[in-house]
Amino acid sequence: MIDRRLVTNFDWTLIGLVSAICLMGVLNIYSASAAYKLGGAPYYIKQLNWMAFGLLLSLVVASLDYHILEDFSYWFYGFLVLLLIAVLLVGKRSLGATRWLNLGFFTIQPSELMKIVIVITFARFFNNFHSVGGLTVKEMLIPLGLLALPTLLIMKQPDLGTATLVVMIAVSMAFFIGFRWATIVTFALVTVPLFWFTWAVYMKPYQKNRVLDFINPERSRLGSGYHIIQSKIAVGSGGFWGKGYVKGTQAQLRFLPEQHTDFAFSVFAEEWGFFGTLILILLYLCLILWGLNIARRCNDRLGGLLAVGVTAMLFWHAVINIGMVIGLFPVVGVPLPFFSYGGTSMITSMVGVGILQSISMRRFMF
Amino acid sequence: MKNDKEKWARVRIIMVSCLFAFGFLAVAARSFYLQILEHDQLVKLAERQHHRTIPITPARGGIFDRTGAPLAVSLEMDSLYAEPKRITDPAGTAAALAPLVQLPQQELQRKLGSEKSFAWLARQLPPETAVKIKQMKLPGIGFVKENKRFYPNFEMASHVLGFTGMDPGGLEGLERRYDTTILGKTGYLLTERDALGRDVSIRSAVVQDAAPGKNLYLTLDKNIQYFTEKELAKAVEGSRAKSGMALVMDPWTGKVLAMANYPTFNPNSFRQYPTLNLRNRCVSDNFEPGSTFKVFLLSAAIEEKIVTPRDGINCENGRYSFGGRIIRDDHPHGRVSVAEVLKYSSNIGSAKIGLKLGDDRLHRYLKAFGFGDKSGVDLPGEASGGLRPVSRWYGTDIATISFGQGVSITALQLVAATSAVANGGLLMKPYLVERVTDSAGLELQRFEPQTVRRVISTQTAATISQMMEGVTQKGGTATNAAIDGFRVAGKTGTAQKVDPVSRGYSATKRTASFVGFVPAEKPLLTILVVIDEPTTSPYGGVVAAPAFREIAFNTLCYLKAAGVGKACELPKTQTVQAAPAQPAPTAKPQAAADAEEGGSIEVAGAGTPMPDFRGMSMRRVLQVMEKRQLNLQLRGSGRVIEQHPQPGQVIHGSDEIWVRLAPAV
Repeated sequence: MIDRRLVTNFDWTLIGLVSAICLMGVLNIYSASAAYKLGGAPYYIKQLNWMAFGLLLSLVVASLDYHILEDFSYWFYGFLVLLLIAVLLVGKRSLGATRWLNLGFFTIQPSELMKIVIVITFARFFNNFHSVGGLTVKEMLIPLGLLALPTLLIMKQPDLGTATLVVMIAVSMAFFIGFRWATIVTFALVTVPLFWFTWAVYMKPYQKNRVLDFINPERSRLGSGYHIIQSKIAVGSGGFWGKGYVKGTQAQLRFLPEQHTDFAFSVFAEEWGFFGTLILILLYLCLILWGLNIARRCNDRLGGLLAVGVTAMLFWHAVINIGMVIGLFPVVGVPLPFFSYGGTSMITSMVGVGILQSISMRRFMF
Repeated sequence: MKNDKEKWARVRIIMVSCLFAFGFLAVAARSFYLQILEHDQLVKLAERQHHRTIPITPARGGIFDRTGAPLAVSLEMDSLYAEPKRITDPAGTAAALAPLVQLPQQELQRKLGSEKSFAWLARQLPPETAVKIKQMKLPGIGFVKENKRFYPNFEMASHVLGFTGMDPGGLEGLERRYDTTILGKTGYLLTERDALGRDVSIRSAVVQDAAPGKNLYLTLDKNIQYFTEKELAKAVEGSRAKSGMALVMDPWTGKVLAMANYPTFNPNSFRQYPTLNLRNRCVSDNFEPGSTFKVFLLSAAIEEKIVTPRDGINCENGRYSFGGRIIRDDHPHGRVSVAEVLKYSSNIGSAKIGLKLGDDRLHRYLKAFGFGDKSGVDLPGEASGGLRPVSRWYGTDIATISFGQGVSITALQLVAATSAVANGGLLMKPYLVERVTDSAGLELQRFEPQTVRRVISTQTAATISQMMEGVTQKGGTATNAAIDGFRVAGKTGTAQKVDPVSRGYSATKRTASFVGFVPAEKPLLTILVVIDEPTTSPYGGVVAAPAFREIAFNTLCYLKAAGVGKACELPKTQTVQAAPAQPAPTAKPQAAADAEEGGSIEVAGAGTPMPDFRGMSMRRVLQVMEKRQLNLQLRGSGRVIEQHPQPGQVIHGSDEIWVRLAPAV
């Protein structure tokens, strides 16, 4: 199975970009958690372990021919939907949401894995589905169903962030295939009144408030509003050159929420300034463009779809996370891939990288 | 077909690339907005969140008299703080500190054991205590220099100076009026706190040093102030009066040389006094002037050529019925000259002159002399007096206002208006602050005399001045004000007071006053003495004039005015050569002088041994003075080279206590 050509075609650019972001992330986690007083291994060491494990995992995935994913895709899909249902029934409750499944020796978060699985599922579906002149409404019914089932299950947890991401990834892939104008108009005509009806008739005032708070966090200065204001203060007070490594006052004095996970970017922006921010954003841009380049170079439809899906996953994570911490988007629990602390996010992203690598290495084989 | 498809796929990839790149561009733009454009504002927000500042009292600027003698100074005191996070043994530390800082041990231990990074333990500790605590070298305990206000002359000029509270703000007097000038810049200790509001660290002991405020140099002269206060106290107590006021002004400039109120208070401990004592009545209280007002009536009448000094007026033998009201003179006269109306202070004569002058003109001149308006003196709480507009003068008002009843004024207005007569007709704006210097002594601002307006002509002023001389001459109402070797111009006042209960004039309560200037031909001083409710005699000529004479005489001596002659025996201390910063202290030290006067004021520190001041700095001397409540005369500046009495000798009430300082070589 291991072909010599695979080694020669190994995509060092991809691994280089990912490693660079990962290492910056580890460095940043060191600073972000410097103020923490914890027993056990420090977060940055744990993150280094996750990074090593993730890279290894990506190599394992890369060594597999991505075409086998096509065969297993619906199995994966079915299995994960079952897991999502299991979560709702027997899941571990934490912080007001039920997201984790205790498997005895470790816990998993099926919604996180769904991000990858939806990529594979959609790639499989559209690979065998040839529409002429763009997708019609009728042609969208099956993929809509495939998307709606896990999305609704995830929203029920509730985990709005992950649900949004799953939808964004799927929609990105569908757009890549292409819609007919009529389809877009129809969707608009159906969804807008639906939202309006839900808002005006169905929702109670406290629910409306929650939605408004979600859209505009500064409505509530405590809660999510507090987080976003603190994050903006941290980022903005960094200025052009930043306050210096481990010298960010907002981070070190722990004004930031979740500062080693979802708000890791704020810590980085405060300490490295606009200069650092720009470099990190450029690295992500390069990674995304490289992912799309892999899709372009790939000679078969399945590879292209998978590459676009994985890239869309990384893109939406990055943009929604950064957009959230700088007050562009509502606060949803979305980590910054490779950068935020966390094993699940690292594994999902690295599996994605593995798929990209697999496609990139096999670009001359078909 | 395949090529088309591939091309199509390529276009889509590029489209998606552009879309994704745009996403990052938006994010980068937003970062730019926050980190570059909004930077300053967000930095401020950040700092406001996690900086906690602890203010440090700055040194207020000093207040000095016109010769440079200190009237109010700032003493550097040690304030004790703790950094509880660095204290490992709160119980032991508390036990060691408790007896020294006079706090319950439990409270101390609670403070020392807290989660905070900073806590004040004691503000402005006595120097000895501070030294003891420093010697213990306790960990987590530190000192910050703070400043405390001290008035080295105790009661002297207290109403003018005012006082400050525990916070550095001035609460009364010049301290309040010039608060922003004197205040100085507050220093700050900075601590950082985290999101839970816990202090994290004292980043550096002092982030901003307290900057001392500016100094004020007054028009007041400590020596003249001293004479004035002493004579006023004597006059009030001698006549068993309720209270008194006295003012000395340079008639040519409006400079207030002395401003005294009795009873008085010690601004170092102002809280122990009833609030009435704290009032600067000279500017804040209105009173009916009585006969002193006739000066201004006559000024108007002569300026308007209604009368001449030689014109005859029938004084109706002391009883004159007018408008249904009977006006009386205490000493009946028949037909007298206008000059004699003033000399004998005839109410009937004045009323008749007032009637000739008419409401409008009298009102216009009184206004021009500054009555009914605030003088604009640089003190807070000035009253404007009560001079009704002519439209509200009824019936006999013109007659009574002519002799100073039915109208109220402040002492400061009276002395300023009299000065206008003294200086040839110009109303000068009274003021107290001559110059402002920075803490190093560099002059920043100088206040020049301000002419408010010309009120009467020079000739009229000279005429009135001559007539006022008659008052202190044989036959006048104030022969008690005469001074050997000088021509004294003046006017007595004996006003009936309005009884607050009956709302009519009281039968017994009087305000006795004397206002005048000396030497009459070229005045150096305008002096006013007002005695409120004297009980021995109601007359200004009896109660107030002697005080006027003493203040005038002492001041003329002190100023070495031409014609003082041998009568002026200056105290020996004047021969002591003093450093320029300290004027020749011609006054006898207060303790000694009071003792001679029969010890009406308890001599501060009497009966205790004299401390050893030798080698001490001025600041240290002041600290000891404050602690021991010694009223010490300071001569010169620098370090103490000589003192009296010698160290360890018991201070007697009659002792003159002084230290002489010289700059270190």
